[in-house]
Amino acid sequence: MGQSTSLIRTTKLQRTYQMGKNTVQALAGVDLEIERGTFVALVGPSGSGKSTLLNVIGGLDRPSSGEVWVSDLELGQAPDKKLVSFRRDRVGFIFQSFNLLPTNQAWENVALPLMLAGRSRSERRKRAENLLEQVGLGDRADHRPAELSGGQQQRVAIARALANDPVLILADEPTGNLDSRTGRDVLLLLQRLVREQNVTLLMVTHDMNAASYADRIVHMRDGKIEQIETIERTAEAVA
Amino acid sequence: MTFGDILRTAWSNLTRRKVRTSLTSLGVTVGIFTIVVMLSLGVGVQRVIQQQFDAIGLENVVVQPRDAERNPYTRYVRPEREVVISPAKIAEWQQMDDIVSVTPIVDVNESISKRLVLPGDAAATIAVGVDPGIGINNPFETPPTALAGVLRPTKDGEIVISQRALRRLGLTAEVNNLIGQKVQLVMETPRGESQSFDYTLVGVSSVDNNLVALTPNDSIALKAWWFNEPDLLDKEGYDYALIRAKDLNVARQLTTQLRAERFRVQSVETVLELASKIFLVINIMLGSVGGLALFVATIGIMNTMIMAIYERTREIGTLKAIGASRGNIRTLFMTEAGLIGLFGGIVGLLGGWGVGRILNRVALAYLEREEVPIRGDFFYIPPWLIGLAIGFGLVVGIVAGLYPAARAARLDPIKALRHE
Ligand SMILES: Nc1ncnc2c1ncn2[C@@H]1O[C@H](COP(=O)(O)OP(=O)(O)OP(=O)(O)O)[C@@H](O)[C@H]1O
Ligand SMILES: [Mg+2]
Repeated sequence: MGQSTSLIRTTKLQRTYQMGKNTVQALAGVDLEIERGTFVALVGPSGSGKSTLLNVIGGLDRPSSGEVWVSDLELGQAPDKKLVSFRRDRVGFIFQSFNLLPTNQAWENVALPLMLAGRSRSERRKRAENLLEQVGLGDRADHRPAELSGGQQQRVAIARALANDPVLILADEPTGNLDSRTGRDVLLLLQRLVREQNVTLLMVTHDMNAASYADRIVHMRDGKIEQIETIERTAEAVA
Repeated sequence: MTFGDILRTAWSNLTRRKVRTSLTSLGVTVGIFTIVVMLSLGVGVQRVIQQQFDAIGLENVVVQPRDAERNPYTRYVRPEREVVISPAKIAEWQQMDDIVSVTPIVDVNESISKRLVLPGDAAATIAVGVDPGIGINNPFETPPTALAGVLRPTKDGEIVISQRALRRLGLTAEVNNLIGQKVQLVMETPRGESQSFDYTLVGVSSVDNNLVALTPNDSIALKAWWFNEPDLLDKEGYDYALIRAKDLNVARQLTTQLRAERFRVQSVETVLELASKIFLVINIMLGSVGGLALFVATIGIMNTMIMAIYERTREIGTLKAIGASRGNIRTLFMTEAGLIGLFGGIVGLLGGWGVGRILNRVALAYLEREEVPIRGDFFYIPPWLIGLAIGFGLVVGIVAGLYPAARAARLDPIKALRHE
């Protein structure tokens, strides 16, 4: 599997939830392949299984059956410890509500994955400042989340997702809590990062406009992939 | 996560809810404070008593003869003695290795009437007793000093009288002129026979009683005359002997040996052993009061931690999503709980120390006012108590944190992230 260019490959992926006597099929056999360095948007109606798929690919949730490979690791069978180090060292998460630690300064939030990985404080600070510079918040390193706007907070969260130099960034409705202008800035930032750093980005959204920033759009319905469209980008859209 | 990172993170989480953190650790403070105050009192009092006993000298052994079984028909006759502290015995003991001194003591019964007579111009007469001179200072009284001359007679025919006797004779002003003067003790039996004994006054002691001090031989002479028993010393021996051993071990051996010889032996050590047993019980009881407070504090910390974990569920979810292991989360919350306990312990220790110091001052002022010659700290914090207080605080916190931390570590990250 490792020889192809695809970073993510799922086969017959199922995730069922038992709710009393009812069985909910959040994922009803998902076969998906995502190539390295692409920006993929995951769209679909509410309850179609977008977040579930994202969580399984991110090693936060385990499939009920089927396989999910990220690079050379099959997450369904990997031991818990493997999943922890996978999340810590290879994945970056971006959440709808930013989820920054309120007591930590911006740079400390950015450096959290590095702290968990046991890096030294001075190394963390340097890397965090560098990343904050990249997301345009070089002058806010010592601010606490409460002192930042929503857009700024989400950019700190993006910097945090980049801190461990991940192969994969997973974002669940990253613009859901932002107004359209700020949302656009964030999307452009994400787009730029994918392009410049060759990172793979999987973004859940139900906003088609947001999805249009991606290279590919995966449509889901009832726990299945309905359609995959590839966006042909013209030169002016990039600018 | 390094230890420094964990401490720093725990600290910033605790300081974000300063009031709650302080109130929670206050529970530990109360418990540790109680334990520190109680134990430092127990330890302090025990130490003060120990010091008093040390002043007496634990190496002193008091030997008494043993009276034979009493015959019910001879109730009014003085009991026979089974073993006698004879002058020969005294000499034998003096010959033993590691014995510093042996002092024979004679107890001239209070009921034997004696009058101290000052002949000559300043003639005066008062009733007195004879000081048996056990030679062990009562720790609760100021040790006597010699106002003039010496404190105890050293040769037969010498006498030391007390300050009070002097006052009652009306001679206070001329203390020093009295040394070397002749005085007499006059004894009178109920039958009306009387006998006077001559002495040279060699000292005035500061004690405030009616006693005069004589040498053992002179005391024996008084008794021998009273009971009309010229060879009283041979028959009954001395009433006590004070043996001063070189050290405690020698005293202990001597005690067993003398008991085997059927002497009655009191050693201060026996008393001290009993005292320390009593103190152990008291310490345990007082310590339990603090223990109860700590139990309550443990529940308080647990409650606070569970609340904190509930409030921070999303944070925990976030941390887990970005790669925190269960161990990281558990360590983090255990550290927070441990720190609450640790602060409580330190503050409780400082509080207990401060209150102990204040009470020491108060006690000292009281003792000085009452003229009790005991000094020393009644509240004393030995190094082990510092360790115990801080360690206990920490342990209480960690124990209280066990369950909440395990709960936090077990949280499902997806559910935690969805938590409002
Ligand atoms: N923990 C759970 N227990 C039971 N059912 C669940 C659980 N999580 C998700 N589901 C169900 O799985 C299905 C897919 O949920 P999912 O959160 O993946 O949807 P989604 O596409 O992200 O929707 P939205 O756009 O509203 O976020 C839903 O029907 C949901 O009710
Ligand atoms: Mg969702």
